[in-house]
Amino acid sequence: MSPRELSGAQSRRRPSLSFRPRPRTAIVSTHYATELDNDVWSGLTAVDTPHDEGQVLEETNHFPEPNLRRRGAKSFSSLRHHVDGLRAFGRRLSVTLRNKSARHVSHHHQDDAEDLTHDQHVTPSNRHSWCKGTNINRRPSHNSVSALQGFYAPTAPDSVPVPGNSMESPVFLNDIYAGAAARAAAAAQNEMARTERDKLADTRLTRDSESGIGIDLRDRSEMSDTDLAFLRVDPVAYLPPEVMSHVFTHLDPQSLMQCELVSRAWSEQASSRHIWRHVFRHTYGHGRPSGIARKKKQSAGLGKTIPNQDWKRMFLVRRALEHRWKEGKAAAIYLHGHKDSVYCAQFDEDKIITGSRDRTIRVWDAHYPWPCRKIIGPPPGDVPGIGPVNNPSQQSAGKPPFLTICPPPTLSAEITTPVEQTSEYHSASILCLQFDEEIMVTGSSDYTCIVWDIENDYKPIRRLEGHRAGVLDVCFDDRYIVSCSKDTTICVWDRHTGALVKRLAGHRGPVNAVQLRGDLIVSASGDGVAKLWNITSGHCVKEFHSKDRGLACVEFSDDARTILTGGNDQAIYQFDANTGEMVNELQGHVGLVRSLHLDSMSQRIVSGSYDMSVKVFDAQSGELSIDLPGWTTSWMLSVKSDYRRIVATSQDSRAVIMDFGYGLDGIELLEE
Amino acid sequence: MSSSNPTLVFMSSDGVEITVDRDVAERSLLIKNMLEDLGETGEAIPIPNVNEAVLKKVIEWCAHHKNDPASTGDDDDSRRKTTDIDEWDQKFMQVDQEMLFEIILAANYLDIKGLLDVGCKTVANMIKGKSPEEIRKTFNIQNDFTPEEEDQIRRENEWAEE
Repeated sequence: MSPRELSGAQSRRRPSLSFRPRPRTAIVSTHYATELDNDVWSGLTAVDTPHDEGQVLEETNHFPEPNLRRRGAKSFSSLRHHVDGLRAFGRRLSVTLRNKSARHVSHHHQDDAEDLTHDQHVTPSNRHSWCKGTNINRRPSHNSVSALQGFYAPTAPDSVPVPGNSMESPVFLNDIYAGAAARAAAAAQNEMARTERDKLADTRLTRDSESGIGIDLRDRSEMSDTDLAFLRVDPVAYLPPEVMSHVFTHLDPQSLMQCELVSRAWSEQASSRHIWRHVFRHTYGHGRPSGIARKKKQSAGLGKTIPNQDWKRMFLVRRALEHRWKEGKAAAIYLHGHKDSVYCAQFDEDKIITGSRDRTIRVWDAHYPWPCRKIIGPPPGDVPGIGPVNNPSQQSAGKPPFLTICPPPTLSAEITTPVEQTSEYHSASILCLQFDEEIMVTGSSDYTCIVWDIENDYKPIRRLEGHRAGVLDVCFDDRYIVSCSKDTTICVWDRHTGALVKRLAGHRGPVNAVQLRGDLIVSASGDGVAKLWNITSGHCVKEFHSKDRGLACVEFSDDARTILTGGNDQAIYQFDANTGEMVNELQGHVGLVRSLHLDSMSQRIVSGSYDMSVKVFDAQSGELSIDLPGWTTSWMLSVKSDYRRIVATSQDSRAVIMDFGYGLDGIELLEE
Repeated sequence: MSSSNPTLVFMSSDGVEITVDRDVAERSLLIKNMLEDLGETGEAIPIPNVNEAVLKKVIEWCAHHKNDPASTGDDDDSRRKTTDIDEWDQKFMQVDQEMLFEIILAANYLDIKGLLDVGCKTVANMIKGKSPEEIRKTFNIQNDFTPEEEDQIRRENEWAEE
């Protein structure tokens, strides 16, 4: 399924307002709305985190926080247990019998063969004899449906146990079917036989060998006024649950939800966790790269695989989240603390790490109330910097945050690692960083990179020295660390030893950005050219030219097929990495495109620009889908995104979390 | 020993003996494993859950698909990615519902993954894109929900913020 079809399905599902009891009517008074929202805020925080009274300042827009309504999951589950007793019983019964006979066959097929020959005519029946022979039960309707004869000849129910068809009593074999279940089945069969005796003179086929299943025929005989009813069989009653769940896993979520409304038995089966796990993963996890190692430790929002996970609820939460992306509805959470431009950031479910012109690296908690956990670098004062305000009047178009949260800055003394040796820090701006589970690599205007040990409290491991100007971007995988510099070169380092493996020269301007996939590096330069390099040979294998001016950023898709570049042309160019062709040009920004992020899983391209906006494009079509202008007061310097949020950093010394999942009931279920 | 014998004899639940090529029969993992465990006895193998008509259909399917590559892992997600069914299988599955379900049961019992899958996909296609009422009509099912229960489920599934 392509993401486009997917989103189509979602739009079809846009719920009508009538189902939603609105907690309150829209109130025009700003003052009152603010009060209300504050109430909501405390209510929410009380649920998931200890509430720090008054710790968090908050301004709001006029959006009433919509998430109070908790649906009565209780009543839904109680409904599941209300399943029609007889029907459920019948199904269980049939499964039991089937399993028994199956086991019986595989281990004692010899015995079974004897049983089988017990009371049956041994002459191989002629394929067409069934519709003539009087000793064979048949359905009256079948004579009129001649087309079926070629396909299906119902056969006499002469396997064991023989159900009590028509006038006869059922026959069992004591050794297999002596249980109470079998007796119950027989009773049901007898009862059915009685009712049918009254109704029909003709002999009728009820069922062939599956005696237990015969029970639910009663339902059908009650309403089998039309001949057609004989041809229609409820699969949920007929097939064992494991097979039915196999059927259901082939359905799209929309169809599955319709199934839940068919009957109680259907509802019970169609809402099973097992099925919804498949549906959830299939719907939202299809783009997950399998072969290639994932470049960044970015969460895909597919939840944890733990016992009793409520996959259906996760699906509903994820659908609501995707709806917010579509609407561009996000909360703004501002991270205050850096004293100057924040050049770079990366995050995972647990933390956000930012690097700044103030020469420090800060590690922030990715959860409420988003405290700064650590400052790496020279000890700063406690007055957060206020960067340049290039943007006094907010642009009116686009999406403002529906809620704004400004957690208070943490006192820096509490979180600064004591200075041991100044040589352990960068002595100038932190321009770029990347981390994974084990290490973080930062690049600085001090011409060096530092490799930090994430597992050991961010202790520096080594410094990579080799560039002759500021290190503008850095990336790494399991083998290499790649850095690029204002000195127009790219350095490839051994991740484990720090040895300089290769120096790639060829750009005519500063190399502003670099990305790494396997043996391929793509780099973007202020000279307006992006180059594709082969690490092994050290040669440039392809060039991608901007239409006019310099490039500031580059992104390489996980599958290494697509290259995106952004820069002073204010457009985002999309290239086919194999052919070198420019395949698309994404328009919308009115300033230099400073940063790009491609989320292949969600098929979103996120860009940050000197026009002070962050924009989201559909990676398939290249269409602008969300415009988020003016969330900070100066240039956007870095953007990254995952399934629920964008983290953007700005020249105004702040980082902002654009959280589309903020306050969404159950959003924590999606964390990986 | 008759282990090189290329044919086997099945006996259906209604006592009919059917001769099957061994490689066709071995599309059924149940049969395959049984032959591996017990060897070939030369006697008819009883298939007590499957009647002649169904068994013939199953064998027809296995014969057509005898050269298919063996299916991969149990939790193969790509298997679930599509409800596309190839043309031959589609025609093969044009039977009445009871026959269809019997084929599925037989495939499940005999452990014929490919056939079980095609059968389940066929049923899934009968359900796909239909309203609850259409599904009920398709399979002659009675709605046993109270209006309140129905409404409850509907609201549960509609849940999205606004």
